[in-house]
Amino acid sequence: MTANAFLSLLQGAGVTLIISLSGIAIGVPLGLVLALVRWRRIPGLSQVAAVYVSLLRSTPAVTLCLLIFFAVPTLGIEIGAWSAGIMTLAFVTAAFNCEVWRAGLLNFPHEQVEAARAFGMTPLLRLRRIIFPQLWRAALPGLVNEATLLIKASPAIAVIGVAEITRAATRIGAQTYEPLPPMLTATGIYVAIILVFVGLQRLTERRYGRGAGA
Amino acid sequence: MMHGFDVVWEHSDRLLWGVLNTIALSIVGAVLAVVFGALVAILLMSPNRLLRLSVQGLVDLMRCVPFLMLVYLVYYGLPHLGIDFDNWTAGLAALALYNTAYMAEILRGIWSGLPRETFEAATAFGYHGPRLYTRIVFPQVFLAAGPMLGNQLIQIIKDTAFLTIIAVPELTQAASGIQAQYFVPFAAFIAAILIYWALCAIVEGGVALIEKVAEARR
Amino acid sequence: MAKKPAETSETVLDIRGLTKSFGSNLVLDGVSLTVAKGRTVCVLGPSGSGKSTLLRCVNWLEKPDQGAVYLSGRRIGMREGGSIPMSSSELARERARIGMVFQHFNLWPHLTVIQNLAEAPIHVQKRNRDEVMAEAAALLDRVGLAAKKDDFPSRLSGGQKQRVGIARALAMKPELLLFDEPTSALDPELVGEVVAVMKTLAESGSTMLVVTHEMGFARETADEVVLMDGGRIVESGEPSAFFKKPKTERARQFLQRYVS
Ligand SMILES: Nc1ncnc2c1ncn2[C@@H]1O[C@H](COP(=O)(O)OP(=O)(O)OP(=O)(O)O)[C@@H](O)[C@H]1O
Ligand SMILES: [Mg+2]
Repeated sequence: MTANAFLSLLQGAGVTLIISLSGIAIGVPLGLVLALVRWRRIPGLSQVAAVYVSLLRSTPAVTLCLLIFFAVPTLGIEIGAWSAGIMTLAFVTAAFNCEVWRAGLLNFPHEQVEAARAFGMTPLLRLRRIIFPQLWRAALPGLVNEATLLIKASPAIAVIGVAEITRAATRIGAQTYEPLPPMLTATGIYVAIILVFVGLQRLTERRYGRGAGA
Repeated sequence: MMHGFDVVWEHSDRLLWGVLNTIALSIVGAVLAVVFGALVAILLMSPNRLLRLSVQGLVDLMRCVPFLMLVYLVYYGLPHLGIDFDNWTAGLAALALYNTAYMAEILRGIWSGLPRETFEAATAFGYHGPRLYTRIVFPQVFLAAGPMLGNQLIQIIKDTAFLTIIAVPELTQAASGIQAQYFVPFAAFIAAILIYWALCAIVEGGVALIEKVAEARR
Repeated sequence: MAKKPAETSETVLDIRGLTKSFGSNLVLDGVSLTVAKGRTVCVLGPSGSGKSTLLRCVNWLEKPDQGAVYLSGRRIGMREGGSIPMSSSELARERARIGMVFQHFNLWPHLTVIQNLAEAPIHVQKRNRDEVMAEAAALLDRVGLAAKKDDFPSRLSGGQKQRVGIARALAMKPELLLFDEPTSALDPELVGEVVAVMKTLAESGSTMLVVTHEMGFARETADEVVLMDGGRIVESGEPSAFFKKPKTERARQFLQRYVS
């Protein structure tokens, strides 16, 4: 395997990271919104959110990615492979993040909400000043865990031709007729990325306690 | 858009064939993974420290690898070793191998959380070796493992979709085929997603049933 | 009180000079003890004196550092000659000759009551299933639990669990029964039902080695009591003599503390 090939693998790893992190950046707040909708039992929306979570949790990322990439243009909206990839990962992780946020909300001490209400805080103010500053700490270990799982699922977007790391590895393999060396190298890079996230997870667990409810 | 669903309905036999493959891959893959996972769990519980730590290292390594990567490694690697597979078998092998690591870790976690006393009672009553595992240890492990095994089975069902990338004729592959031929992406993939949803719901229902059996013994 | 004379001098259990340490903690310090056929020997002693360890050394759940255990003349844990340890399958076969009843019952939670009884006879001793099941049903009747045969252990009270534990040990037709504080985990009002079962066993000629804090049982049922302290046997003798006129100062102190 040439240095050039290695560089394009690293480039693929960069793509994997950018797309995954973008998906996480959208999916984490989206998950919070879904969790709040369910927590506040907003009529109609709450049920929609519940169905969304249930559906997305059993949908393979590959299938969702194909749906978005091929079906969204039929609605008259142009969508590139990158955007489709980011949307896929964001939608998937939002469903799982919703459950992490929701567990944190359900474990949130009710007295504190009552107290804030007694002080005349509006729901939004309560959320911003009282709940969220404590909630994110409780949710962080769970969210990092979901982020790790998302990175492991991210090769799904190779199916629509995004040149992420597995795709880069197969391309090099096809060019050189030696598929194994780039595959093994890519695996090594992947393991390194995952290990960083696992380390991050341990760190957050140590700092903020284990699990969403801690 | 409704027209799309009509097209998919006309070709529902192709989806059905895909689902059957998905189910077969998932069930056979899961059964193999549970069996091998149980054997690996025995190694993970071994009193031999060196053996235990090296097997744990392999299991942890496997759990850091994305499934698609392992699919490629098996798909390209095995012919390299002189073993020729068709895509279906390569996909199944990857599915079983990958999930063996997860199953082993699930079973080990439950096993190490069970009270040791009933195992010791079995030793005192003359159990040893394989029979201790098959009669006393694993029945208790599996009784407690229902929900976690169910979650892993759902993960396996979702993982089978990756196999479309090496052209295994599973559900997503079938949906892709219909959409490529008739250009009904929306209907084809929504149908597939709803079927995955149903499959996962069935698994969850099964877990609930098993939990009832387990509850009587708790 | 049915005291059996020691006329059957056939020795079932012969423990010779057992020594066992955990790290630097000497737990058994040269313990020797014999139990003749049909006799009941009670082991008394303060917490930490090594009683459980002694029992666990008998069936080699704990491997003693020195000394030997013979069951009906056959060495346990070591092959003939005494220098080569038994393989795990040989050891398992010897263990199946000894019944054990545990403080915390240790019933198998995935099996029903009658399955708990039949499990080892069928799968370890390879006896005929129908015979075993019939015997198991009879045993359950004997401990007063025939009605519970298809329940799971989690549904039973502590006293019922322990009676199942005793029946499970009996189902193996063991040459020797070991009891490790069988009533210590029970609520006081449930102790009686278990003690009653143990009494009928002792009276019907079972050979039993019983670690207990139940002084009433020791006094009325034992053929011999043994007091352990600091890993040694400090006194042994007939219960009537032991409880009325202990020979050693240590025994007097022990009785003062535990019998009141
Ligand atoms: N597996 C072990 N590892 C280390 N130390 C042990 C082990 N088992 C027992 N010991 C120690 O050996 C000593 C004797 O323990 P043992 O359980 O035999 O006492 P015991 O007479 O049965 O006490 P009790 O009445 O509390 O049951 C104790 O100091 C205990 O801490
Ligand atoms: Mg003890």
